[in-house]
Amino acid sequence: MTASQEIETRLRETAEQLLRDKKVDVFLGYEKASLPFRTTPLFVTSPEQVDRLAWNPFCTINLAVYLPRLFADSRRGGGRAEPPPPPTVGIVLKGCDLRAATVLIQEHQVPREKLVIVGVACPGMVDRRKAELALGEHDALGAGEDGEGNVHAVIEDGVEVKLSREDVVAEACLQCRTPTPSMHDVLLGSPVEATDGDGDAGRKQTADFEAKAPAVRWAQLREALADCIRCSACRQACPMCYCTECVMDQTRPRWLGAGTDGSDVMIYHLTRAFHLAGRCTECGACARACPMGIDTRLLVRKMNQEVEDLYGYRPGDATDTTSPLSDFSMDDPQDFLTEP
Amino acid sequence: MSQTQAVQETAATKEWEPRIVAFLCNWCSYAGADLAGVSRIQYPHNVRIIRVPCSGRINPLFLLRALQNGADGVLVSGCHPGDCHYISGNLVARRKFALCKELLQYAGIEPERVQFTWVSASEGGRFASVIEKVVDEVRQLGPNDKLVKKL
Repeated sequence: MTASQEIETRLRETAEQLLRDKKVDVFLGYEKASLPFRTTPLFVTSPEQVDRLAWNPFCTINLAVYLPRLFADSRRGGGRAEPPPPPTVGIVLKGCDLRAATVLIQEHQVPREKLVIVGVACPGMVDRRKAELALGEHDALGAGEDGEGNVHAVIEDGVEVKLSREDVVAEACLQCRTPTPSMHDVLLGSPVEATDGDGDAGRKQTADFEAKAPAVRWAQLREALADCIRCSACRQACPMCYCTECVMDQTRPRWLGAGTDGSDVMIYHLTRAFHLAGRCTECGACARACPMGIDTRLLVRKMNQEVEDLYGYRPGDATDTTSPLSDFSMDDPQDFLTEP
Repeated sequence: MSQTQAVQETAATKEWEPRIVAFLCNWCSYAGADLAGVSRIQYPHNVRIIRVPCSGRINPLFLLRALQNGADGVLVSGCHPGDCHYISGNLVARRKFALCKELLQYAGIEPERVQFTWVSASEGGRFASVIEKVVDEVRQLGPNDKLVKKL
């Protein structure tokens, strides 16, 4: 039995127990998808369905993205009818997902006492694009893993191809600083050490980009974003983008053109980075969701590092801290100001 | 020669002048600009002033939108730290400004395009010299061609 299968069994047991004891109204987990290298989110409401829950190296989705929506109704005020009571939600969270949930609790979008967090110590998830690339011209028909965490893909005529783990693990996972969830009600899997606890890999990427001349940076960014079709998948996949009406969708005033004009696209991405400054938990959901394969994290990563350097804050560490952009200190650095 | 032609010709022959949009806080910087005017202090006419209730009202999107709509430079000015009419509006804003400046610079936009400063209601002279400096720096950069939306 592989580590994943062990976790899967315990996950099903835990979910079944929680649902049977009526400790949760709904349990959020993953289900095997019809395509290889993928899983889909699963909302379990009765103990009979728990066998559909899955745990494998393809559980990439950040389930925290569904939390604000689950509690939105109960938080709505002003109507004639009483808002419904908040549901109790059981949820599977990896290290990065837990950080996202922590920020949601901190920002009063989700009540902690209504959550039963099933944390899973995560060794890193498979990037399906990397896996598809590694298979070259072959199409995968099925996928699984062996005891060492290597991925085995089934291609035409039932031939099995082994893809080594290092080649297919997602970039966000290689840079993961907290693979093991710190806050949880149940923890599955044995704790995983972070390979990049200080975030050096991300720093290096930023430094490499910054070392270029400004004009080169601009040109490179323009080129990278030229593919953007403004589908807003990055926003939809992000657990931190929970506004009922996004500023990008407003029409009175219309802040930004909805098309793919270079200037509009650039401002969209700059604004997204700004809105995520000191909030992004670096789970990589935006990059995974992008249908055009854009590195949507390039700008956000820089903002987060800047917040960490200037204000010594990392999002997702604790639920009782004040977000750095809602806070201030009298001696904040202001050397960027223009002096006559 | 029709009047339209005449206008077009003057526009073409006229030298480029930078257009600066200045967001000034109602309580300090706007009054500072007023004082500069009342005191008859000369400063470049390239600046278009937009009055905001507080520098904390500034959304970075305002600055980006100004650049997109053809401004060559943007200036934001508020009360000095500790003098905010709303106690801490400018202090919270200061963090936003620091990140905004850093992000635009990272993206490869010249840092002089977007500038931030503090001007109090009694600093008419400081206001004039800030404007002089900003206009001067933007003039050296030339027209804004990066974020401007070409239709």
